[in-house]
Amino acid sequence: MSSPFTLNWADDSHDLEKTNSQFDSLTPDYLKHPHKTGTTLMAASYDGGIMIAADTRTSTGTYVAGRLTDKLTKLTDKIYCCRSGSSADTQALAAIVKYHLSFYEEEIGEPASVGVAANIFRDLIYQYKYSLTAGIIVAGWDKRDGGQIYQITLGGMLKRLPVAFGGSGSVFIMGYVDSTFKPNMTRQECRDFLVKGITLAIHRDGSSGGCARLATINESGVEREDVTYDELPPLI
Amino acid sequence: MFKEMQSLANAQMTDASPHKVAGFYPYADNGGTLAAIAGDGFVVIGGDTRLTTGYQIYSREASKLTKLTDKTIIGSCGCWCDSLTFTKGLHIRLQYYLYENNKPISTNATAQLVSNMLYQKRFFPYYVSTIVAGLDADNQGAVYSYDPVGSTERHRYRAQGTAGSLIQPFLDCVLGRGNQTAPEPEKLTKEQAMIYLKDAFMSAAEREIGCGDFLQIMIVTPQGVEEERFKLRKD
Amino acid sequence: MSSALLPPFPEPGFSFENVERNVSLVKKGFKPPKFTSTGTTVAAAIFDGGIIIGTDKRASAGTIVANKNTNKIHKISNNIAFGGAGTAADCDQMEKMVRAHVELHRLNSGKQVPVCVALTKITQHLFRYQGHIQCALIVGGVDKFGYHLHHVYPHGSSSEVLFEAMGSGSLAAISHLELNYKQNMNLDEAKLLIRNAILAGVENDLASGNGIDLCIITPSGMEHLVDYEIPVAFV
Repeated sequence: MSSPFTLNWADDSHDLEKTNSQFDSLTPDYLKHPHKTGTTLMAASYDGGIMIAADTRTSTGTYVAGRLTDKLTKLTDKIYCCRSGSSADTQALAAIVKYHLSFYEEEIGEPASVGVAANIFRDLIYQYKYSLTAGIIVAGWDKRDGGQIYQITLGGMLKRLPVAFGGSGSVFIMGYVDSTFKPNMTRQECRDFLVKGITLAIHRDGSSGGCARLATINESGVEREDVTYDELPPLI
Repeated sequence: MFKEMQSLANAQMTDASPHKVAGFYPYADNGGTLAAIAGDGFVVIGGDTRLTTGYQIYSREASKLTKLTDKTIIGSCGCWCDSLTFTKGLHIRLQYYLYENNKPISTNATAQLVSNMLYQKRFFPYYVSTIVAGLDADNQGAVYSYDPVGSTERHRYRAQGTAGSLIQPFLDCVLGRGNQTAPEPEKLTKEQAMIYLKDAFMSAAEREIGCGDFLQIMIVTPQGVEEERFKLRKD
Repeated sequence: MSSALLPPFPEPGFSFENVERNVSLVKKGFKPPKFTSTGTTVAAAIFDGGIIIGTDKRASAGTIVANKNTNKIHKISNNIAFGGAGTAADCDQMEKMVRAHVELHRLNSGKQVPVCVALTKITQHLFRYQGHIQCALIVGGVDKFGYHLHHVYPHGSSSEVLFEAMGSGSLAAISHLELNYKQNMNLDEAKLLIRNAILAGVENDLASGNGIDLCIITPSGMEHLVDYEIPVAFV
């Protein structure tokens, strides 16, 4: 028996994929590549809560399979997640976490805290790390700790952060985030910070694109905003 | 020569690793179907005019037949750029023959020349299916077929290319009649050969996605070469 | 208890007993057989009266047309249907399974089944098999929540859309839809839009062809227009 620390499992799954691709070069893209949300995700806290943002492109290889995708997925009334990686994996994960949370809220009779949601995600991603491709940012507001942002890596590590970014586009905006983000921004400042970040990433990353979607979560609830492509701020 | 063989080796190299190795692939399959029927005092050769790559259509009107002399036609399909290069080279050789001998080349000599030219590139072949159709010295129809490296044979009828494997059994049935119980048909006429050719391509276009658009037929008789075109399916 | 006279019931679900054997055969160079693929153009859109789904009618095995009269519009219930691309067997079995599931749901609840019930069943089933069930679907339907159109990919991801094209002809079809789709079309405009989108796929994609089927779902029911058009140029 092979050690659980070797990557044999992943190698086997590759062989299966090989035998399954029957039609070599004639295979259309959607059968060859899993659907990926080559994405830019951002989340930042401001003085009254948190804001999350994402682009709207979904790609399969070089084909844009979705140009108005909503990658900000609702988990509970005041907890959202931002999905990046395989869209099949992250949609299934989000549905499972959503189910767990609603069951949990029913049992304890009050809204779940953001940390609980993030930890359910972390458990699943860590347990199934060799079969999943999922980079998740969980963000929301709860009574005990206010606005919170948690990032879960592909390997299943969980970290609470004041500002987070993820997806393929994130590498293009690291410097921007480091130099621009400051704690306790106003809501408008935070909104402009996120929209600019998504715009920069859309500009440089081929697998990010389309529009920017935003959500603000604070004590009073969730507000969504969609910024169409022509409304994005101009780059100098 | 060494350079060509190197690139051939590159092209044929299959890497076991899952990573794709970017390299130069000198060959493409652009499809195309050819069929020819010989008779007493005539030969008919047909080719579809569809040019493809994978599931895409490059052209609906790419002629695969070339008139070489008043008595000889060549049909060539497969890798389109090789077809063009090969027929161009053949034309030049035929001009040389004309200047040196002061007479057009015979069908039989053309057939031998085509084989030689294909075999010359045995280790970096033209990826083409070829049919030479014409009248021999006795004005009898002759059909020669070739594999990419020049293996050749004279036939009474022959189909090659994408839908060759569909048309050949049909021609075997109506013309070859091996092991059949039905009575022998009357002697094959030019008109009947044309009907067989049309029907064969119509049916092939029904079942083979790489065959379609138009059927171009060249009819060779002692009087010269005639050309006809028929519509095939476009989907 | 089982014997030669009384064989055991087969286990429900897929049998995986030959997976390892097949993987080792492929490693040794065995070429697995080709499955029938719908090699399809599917297009669908929301119009002001409901949902319209269109498909071509060709099924292919490699480059051979396996079926010239394929039904690719799969009816789930009176208010839900999907257009399927990919491996034909997977699409057909998916229809059977989801139809049974939705019908049981209807009998248990005594109400019209919402589109999301069928969608959830499909995506969960596809996700469980990690992309090995090769069907790409456009699921459309009308329920008390409104008109719904979703695309579903083989790995189990889905998304709600206003219009969509799938299959090997999807690039041609989506180009037409992106250019000409507008909101609040009437039925005639929607029919023409989808007909032209499928036609773009049929003309430009070799694996699509042999005619057009349409399916229109409105609050008053489902209309399945088999052979809505067989373009004359193709016959």
